[in-house]
Amino acid sequence: MEKKLFINLGRCIACRACEVACEKEHGISFITVYEFRDIAVPLNCRHCEKAPCIEVCPTKAIYRDEDGAVVIDESKCIGCYMCSAVCPYAIPIVDPIKELAVKCDLCAERRKEGRDPLCAAVCPTDAIIYADLNELMEEKRRRKAERIVEAQRKAVETLAYFG
Amino acid sequence: MEEFKIGLCPYCGMGCRFYIKTLNGQPIGIEPYPGGVNEGKLCPKGVAAVDFLRHEDRLKKPLKRTENGFVEISWEQAIKEIAEKLLEIREKYGPDALGFFSSARCSNEENYLLQKIARLLGTNNVDHCARLCHASTVVGLAQTVGAAAQSGSYTDIPKAKVLLIWGYNPSETHPVLMRYILRARDNGAKIIVVDPRKTRTVWFADMHLQLKPGTDIALANAMMHVIIEERLYDREFIMNRTKGFEKLIAVVQKYTPEYAEKITGVPAKLIREAAITFATAGRGIVMWAMGLTQHVTGAANVKALADLALICGYVGREGTGLFPMRGQNNVQGACDMAALPNVFPGYQKVTDDEKRKRVAEIWGVEDLPSKPGLTIPEMIDAAAKGELKALYIMGENPIVSDPNTEHVIEALKNLELLVVQDIFLTETAELAHYVLPAAAYAEKEGSFTASERRVQWNFKAIEPPGEAKPDWVILTMLGKALGLPKFDYSDVEDITREITLVAPQYRGITSERLKREVMGVQWPCPSEDHPGTPRLHVERFATPDGKANIIPVEFKPPAEEPDEEYPFILTTFRIVGQYHTLTMSNRSESLKKRWSSPYAQISPEDAKKMGIQDGEMIRIVTRRGSYTCRAAVTEDVPEGVIAVPWHWGANILTNDALDPEAKIPELKVAVCRVEKIGGC
Repeated sequence: MEKKLFINLGRCIACRACEVACEKEHGISFITVYEFRDIAVPLNCRHCEKAPCIEVCPTKAIYRDEDGAVVIDESKCIGCYMCSAVCPYAIPIVDPIKELAVKCDLCAERRKEGRDPLCAAVCPTDAIIYADLNELMEEKRRRKAERIVEAQRKAVETLAYFG
Repeated sequence: MEEFKIGLCPYCGMGCRFYIKTLNGQPIGIEPYPGGVNEGKLCPKGVAAVDFLRHEDRLKKPLKRTENGFVEISWEQAIKEIAEKLLEIREKYGPDALGFFSSARCSNEENYLLQKIARLLGTNNVDHCARLCHASTVVGLAQTVGAAAQSGSYTDIPKAKVLLIWGYNPSETHPVLMRYILRARDNGAKIIVVDPRKTRTVWFADMHLQLKPGTDIALANAMMHVIIEERLYDREFIMNRTKGFEKLIAVVQKYTPEYAEKITGVPAKLIREAAITFATAGRGIVMWAMGLTQHVTGAANVKALADLALICGYVGREGTGLFPMRGQNNVQGACDMAALPNVFPGYQKVTDDEKRKRVAEIWGVEDLPSKPGLTIPEMIDAAAKGELKALYIMGENPIVSDPNTEHVIEALKNLELLVVQDIFLTETAELAHYVLPAAAYAEKEGSFTASERRVQWNFKAIEPPGEAKPDWVILTMLGKALGLPKFDYSDVEDITREITLVAPQYRGITSERLKREVMGVQWPCPSEDHPGTPRLHVERFATPDGKANIIPVEFKPPAEEPDEEYPFILTTFRIVGQYHTLTMSNRSESLKKRWSSPYAQISPEDAKKMGIQDGEMIRIVTRRGSYTCRAAVTEDVPEGVIAVPWHWGANILTNDALDPEAKIPELKVAVCRVEKIGGC
């Protein structure tokens, strides 16, 4: 299965390393961290399975690449921003120079070299992870199982102590 | 040609590795390095760490002040004139008229050389900015556990079952450390945060003890009161490994949670719950930073936290420890190298005849000054009084970093000679008689010691701009010009080698080894085949008898308390995207645009009372000065507290009252009033 970009809201410390990293890689940041009381939301393209931007694009400029990332072909984009209008997260933005729709391409250049998107690569708390969902969940399940074992051992020790 | 060189982050004390990406010798960016303590991860400052290197403001030629401002001069001329002037001042007023500010931004080798120059010139007047951050830690830990450093490693954090994070906001000051903290939480650890502000670290806490600034001891004592009353202390550990528990029992007796509630404002019930959670966890770590240390009771604050950890037996075992978190990339190293007025490298007291003679012998002299020198605030005061005549500042910017800015400026202007060696023309350098252009981290080699005592090699990636030189090269030139013995270092490794001779903790930490072992070595490392020491105090404490000293302390109020004229308590903090005096971080466009301007946090209640809107301009006034910024109305601060990031010059407001033992100023508490200006 292909890798996806996951955002775990419970781990974001609002440090904006992802924003700065994205800006370094692309000149503009395609990810934005919104800070609220007690929580922050780093928001970028979710590369949806049923991506309305792909459906709506009149010139077929938006397509899914071999890794499953939703990307825009600049040469076909006419700057109509239908994609922005239908995006549930309002992700595609206006490139100030090209005046075309631009968005996160999951660091296409980096992926070609086998490297992860930079936001995920730097995120200090793993609030942003680039991974295979099934593998990620398997890891999480295993960690939970370890916690159960730990709790069980503790309970046995306590029983032995009082017994 | 594109190349990747292993870099060492120049910002905080975490010790993160990354690759510096260069194109034809020019730095073009960073790339995660797979490994290091940061496991490839970086904070925004780390991501932007090459931005300032080629900034047009970089100093490229030595400068000399004339009546018409600065003029460029040659290195030979600059070094010759500075050396002559230093010797002349020493001749005229004696060696103690000279002072040296070393730097937690520079390598171990550079700190070693600067303090060596001071001492060979006959004075112990050498200090660095640890005085403003962890001087309290150095004093407090030396007295209790005998070693002024983080006792465990970052890898201990996920193994802990409780983290007590006191006066410390790692989410903003060490974002990468939050990686370890959240891992601890994943493993079921409870997180208790003690902070007057509701910081981003509090988002992840189980308990937030929102105390009134400067009331830390009352809170710590009350927690110990509960632990003793409920008999939750580690009896065996206390009996076998510590001294002084009986005295502690007597002192904390009166600090009932109800009594502490009156002083701290933290509900007694919460104090009790926090104490029980902490003591019953089984494995605990206490972490602290400037919120704890920058007080007139800073050293006592640290002792109180050390006591708290000791009575629970949370030192020297896996998943436990005392973690003073270092703010700059080489605070630990600068302290280890003795950029401190009372010790030689490796914390050997200047008053200890035997140790002093040994250091003197290695340096090729008969003896060295045995009288402890002046600390930074004392040197500033001595300069203001005209007793200190010359100040040599390497990589520090006291006009922005030290409290009571007006007083600092007045003192610096009073000097006969002010030399500033730095990478930019800082506010302090603007007042200098001579400015020497230094190389930045990526432009030189040397070793740096991160917070967990990890010594790592800093590899060179690019050439310095213009005529800028590594600080160790400049200091070697100066040492020679001053006619000091044995200053013929041909490369930085010569100095690293000498450090292994002088500082016992660094004996096995050679440059060859550090270049080979990119992850570095944790001191103490007594020999070349020693693996280093991830955890201190495992069998015995670094005290003469091997036992830790439990030292009870009494609560004392801060130096200033609110009154009618100054009804608010002012406190300061750091933010994630800017760094200290802005010298480096504000020269990164990406950082500057996101973290752009000063502000003051004020509670909605206070804002309402004064008719202040969010974003409106306000003036904050203390006994020392006034400061204008925008109001940020937020529930993150309680009523009566005003909190400002200090990066943009807020130290014009702060109090320079000192802790009597650590000589650290009370940067975290001052009283102020707030005036509405209006307009946005």
